[in-house]
Amino acid sequence: MSSKGTFDQISPSEFFYRNRDLAGFSNPTRSLYTAVREFVENALDACDQQGILPDVHLSIKAVDPEKPDPKPYILSVKDNGPGIESKHVPLAFGTVLYGSKFGLKQARGMFGLGATMAILYGQITTNKPVFVKSSTDGKIQDEFELILDIQKNKPIVLKHETQDTSKTGLSISICLEGDYAKAGAKIRDYVYQTSLITPYATVTFDDPKGEKFRYTKIVRSMPPAPTIISPHPYGVDVETIKRMIGDSKFSIPTVDNNTIEKVKTELGLRKKDLNYTEIMERAKRRWSSLSRNIRVVIAVMSFLKMDFAKLSKIRIDDIDVSRKKLTYWDFGESKSFTIDMDPETDYYKQLTNTVQGETLVSFLTKRFQRVGRTTAEKFADFAGFKPEKRIGTMTNEELVKLSDSLQKFPTFLSPDPSCLAPLGAEPLEKGMKAFFNPDFISVIQRGASAYSGFPFVVEMGIAYGGDIPPGGTKVYRFANRIPLLYDEGSDVVLKVVEEIDWSRYKVKGDPPLVIVSHICSTRIPYKTVGKENVADRPEIERELRLALQFLSRKLASYMSKRGLAEMEKKRANLYLKYLPLVAQFCTELAGKQKEPDYKKMLKEAVSIEAET
Amino acid sequence: MKPKPKTPPKKSTEERRKSLAQLLKNKGTEIYEDLEKGKFPSFSVPSRSVSNIVYDTKLRQYVLGSSVSLRSTRNMSQLRSFTQLMWLAFFANRLVNEKKSSTLRDIYYSSQAFAVDFEDQPESDNIIVDLEAVLTRPREDLHIFPEERSSVFGDLTIEYTVPGYEGKRSNLSDHPDGYLIGPSLSSCELVDTSAELVIAIEKGGLFTRFVEEKVDKKFKAIIVDTAGQAPRSTRYLLKRLHDEMGLPVVILTDGDVYGEHIAMVIKSGSANAAHLRELTVPDAKWLGVWASDIEKYKLPTIPMTESDIKRITDLQKDPRYQEGNWKKQLEIFLKLKRKAELEAFSKYGLTNITDKYLPEKLELAKSL
Ligand SMILES: Nc1ncnc2c1ncn2[C@@H]1O[C@H](COP(=O)(O)OP(=O)(O)O)[C@@H](O)[C@H]1O
Ligand SMILES: [Mg+2]
Repeated sequence: MSSKGTFDQISPSEFFYRNRDLAGFSNPTRSLYTAVREFVENALDACDQQGILPDVHLSIKAVDPEKPDPKPYILSVKDNGPGIESKHVPLAFGTVLYGSKFGLKQARGMFGLGATMAILYGQITTNKPVFVKSSTDGKIQDEFELILDIQKNKPIVLKHETQDTSKTGLSISICLEGDYAKAGAKIRDYVYQTSLITPYATVTFDDPKGEKFRYTKIVRSMPPAPTIISPHPYGVDVETIKRMIGDSKFSIPTVDNNTIEKVKTELGLRKKDLNYTEIMERAKRRWSSLSRNIRVVIAVMSFLKMDFAKLSKIRIDDIDVSRKKLTYWDFGESKSFTIDMDPETDYYKQLTNTVQGETLVSFLTKRFQRVGRTTAEKFADFAGFKPEKRIGTMTNEELVKLSDSLQKFPTFLSPDPSCLAPLGAEPLEKGMKAFFNPDFISVIQRGASAYSGFPFVVEMGIAYGGDIPPGGTKVYRFANRIPLLYDEGSDVVLKVVEEIDWSRYKVKGDPPLVIVSHICSTRIPYKTVGKENVADRPEIERELRLALQFLSRKLASYMSKRGLAEMEKKRANLYLKYLPLVAQFCTELAGKQKEPDYKKMLKEAVSIEAET
Repeated sequence: MKPKPKTPPKKSTEERRKSLAQLLKNKGTEIYEDLEKGKFPSFSVPSRSVSNIVYDTKLRQYVLGSSVSLRSTRNMSQLRSFTQLMWLAFFANRLVNEKKSSTLRDIYYSSQAFAVDFEDQPESDNIIVDLEAVLTRPREDLHIFPEERSSVFGDLTIEYTVPGYEGKRSNLSDHPDGYLIGPSLSSCELVDTSAELVIAIEKGGLFTRFVEEKVDKKFKAIIVDTAGQAPRSTRYLLKRLHDEMGLPVVILTDGDVYGEHIAMVIKSGSANAAHLRELTVPDAKWLGVWASDIEKYKLPTIPMTESDIKRITDLQKDPRYQEGNWKKQLEIFLKLKRKAELEAFSKYGLTNITDKYLPEKLELAKSL
């Protein structure tokens, strides 16, 4: 035994437990807020994915209202979504990195982390289990009481019961140490802004002080659900490419008894024993129905020319495709043999494919979005690879070259935005109208664009007057339908808003102005782990600027119309005040009795263009 | 030695009043008819901007040039000031008809009774000057007076026209403190005088001394205290004494640049009143104290301040100071950089100024 100390592997839950502030669980204030976010966002994600108009009910209650903050709170979130199948519940909430949103599409949650971290935090601070109720069919509801085994990254089910129900959906309830006195404003802000960007949802919040916040649905249509898509060439790095190659390539299966049983099963030979030739003939007949693994074993057998009995007494040591040699160990003779493989046979081709992976062209066209054959061939030329180069044979240097070239190749089509789920101009407008009751509103959804291979869409709305209090421009920032509430200082949206010269758009002083900005992307370039501000990528900045300029021009034309109307009113009032006086004074001066008939002039006065 | 009365202007106060009333009525009628016709009325107001103030060498005073600005009710931004102007004409008309007088400050407050608001007194003062320019009549004709008053003393019989005193006469030598030059003196008729000269003097102290020393008798003079820069009513009275009674006017001031300019304003007006033509006495003569007198009479002096010197260089650009004694005295002041007050003569005894300086200067004035 080495005396240098021991190497321990820690489980993912252990890791996140030790680094919980990374995930937003650093103190009671932040943790309460983050936990609310995680559960509400899970509920909305689940409904979105199933096309269900969400009803989400959040409640926070102090366990002992008399105690001063920080203190234990019970946080519950209930939704009308699809629920989680009974057998997945413990894993979804009792394991980190277990989730259904890993695919490349837009969602609020990302890493199968959020809910479990909140539960983990609750358990650490209060030592109470989590309660989950879930129904996927609207008939039966599974009710779980779970705690987490942090070391093992495993849930322990304390109780599991079923009950009759009439609705699908999930509700979750945890007990956690929180500070509502400090976090309250943030949480209320979060609920308010979430409802603004989710006008198709009803969100309610019962707070610990007994206040009730209700935001009911404003629209009844949901934006189309995003689809999962393959990555764009600009959006992958060497690591991702390696993983993709790994997925596409099969290693040579070990030919053990287990494998031999599988081959027998697929060939329908479990009860029947055939000699080598008969086996090969049967395999040929059934080729199209055989699985890839089995085909590889058959190919190996074709070079070994052995039946199953003989096969079980050897071990394959090496298959060298380029030198066409196959080496095996014969247990019976206790000796190593090397045989030649005939490169002309189909079996040889089968092996090559398996070991060396597919060709570069096929890899590009099949594994990436929007890459056709012609583009793939042009790319191969650009990168200095043969189109039929097997990706499995690439050295590390070649992989780096491939990755670099993917970034540099200029003519890939722009990324497919079908994986994005913007809210849409109309619901955004309706939401803003309901929230601000403005005198003027305009919204825009820009076309899809991309930065570093990640597609994104910018939506923006501007509202003026009405219920909006004066005091300057208020910016509501959203990313993937999540409100970004803090760390405003260095955000790209604010930068773009600040750069605008409002006086050019006839907006003066501290206007009653609201800007709502929503960026959707498969990857939002957050500046910090806190995920509260978006970094300034030139592509994103440009889209934001174009959107804001468009809206500002609309605002300007509204403002000048409004200015004219105000001017007219002012005119009318002025003439109404002064013309009678002029009439009165000149009547006495002129020594007349009756005042001149000036009334008709009042009307005319209003229509006179302002003379300067 | 009494110069012949200047030809026309024995226009009685009553006549002036009547012509003004007619003028006001005409303006009112014009505007009344505009309104009847549905036309937006307007006033032409002679522009009082610096570029429109020019020196008229023939009239020997500053006058307004030809540029006028239209104050029209069509223009929303002028509507308020048009109404203010209109109100002022209306209010002045009442003052004139009712023979009542008011001060600049009164005007500012009176407006409030008519829902015509002035931001502050400078705004109403400004409208008053506009109306003066429109009518080419000084505000005193409109019975509007500034608060500052100066005085007059001497053998001059006047007849009041103010209500309650109509037809009543007074002799301005009856009261040793002199008579305030107020609304009633501004509107009185000048009946008779034995005086042959008007002495305008800058300072109240010297005015009293002159009365005590019987300068009025010794020199057959009417003495006027201008109390510094002569108010318009005082200049108007000086003009009437000269024009209607045929009296020459001489001026005594401190020996500094301000004194010299007090004399100049009596003689040829101020840029501020370029819109008016009845406030100057072009024949008036400045007796002193000149800069050259300071050395000649060995007067005690005080040093000039920065602003005294600045004032000299400013006036050197004024066309009226481009020649003769006016120019020469400025140059000497600038060289001396010292000034002397009228009281400086007291160094030689309190009566030195009346016994010696005045006669010498009057004698000299004949050749000016
Ligand atoms: N309210 C819910 N309704 C249905 N499924 C849910 C709900 N909340 C969580 N899930 C499932 O549990 C998984 C784990 O959730 P979570 O730990 O928050 O990770 P993430 O949201 O990042 O995927 C989710 O991916 C989702 O499949
Ligand atoms: Mg989540």
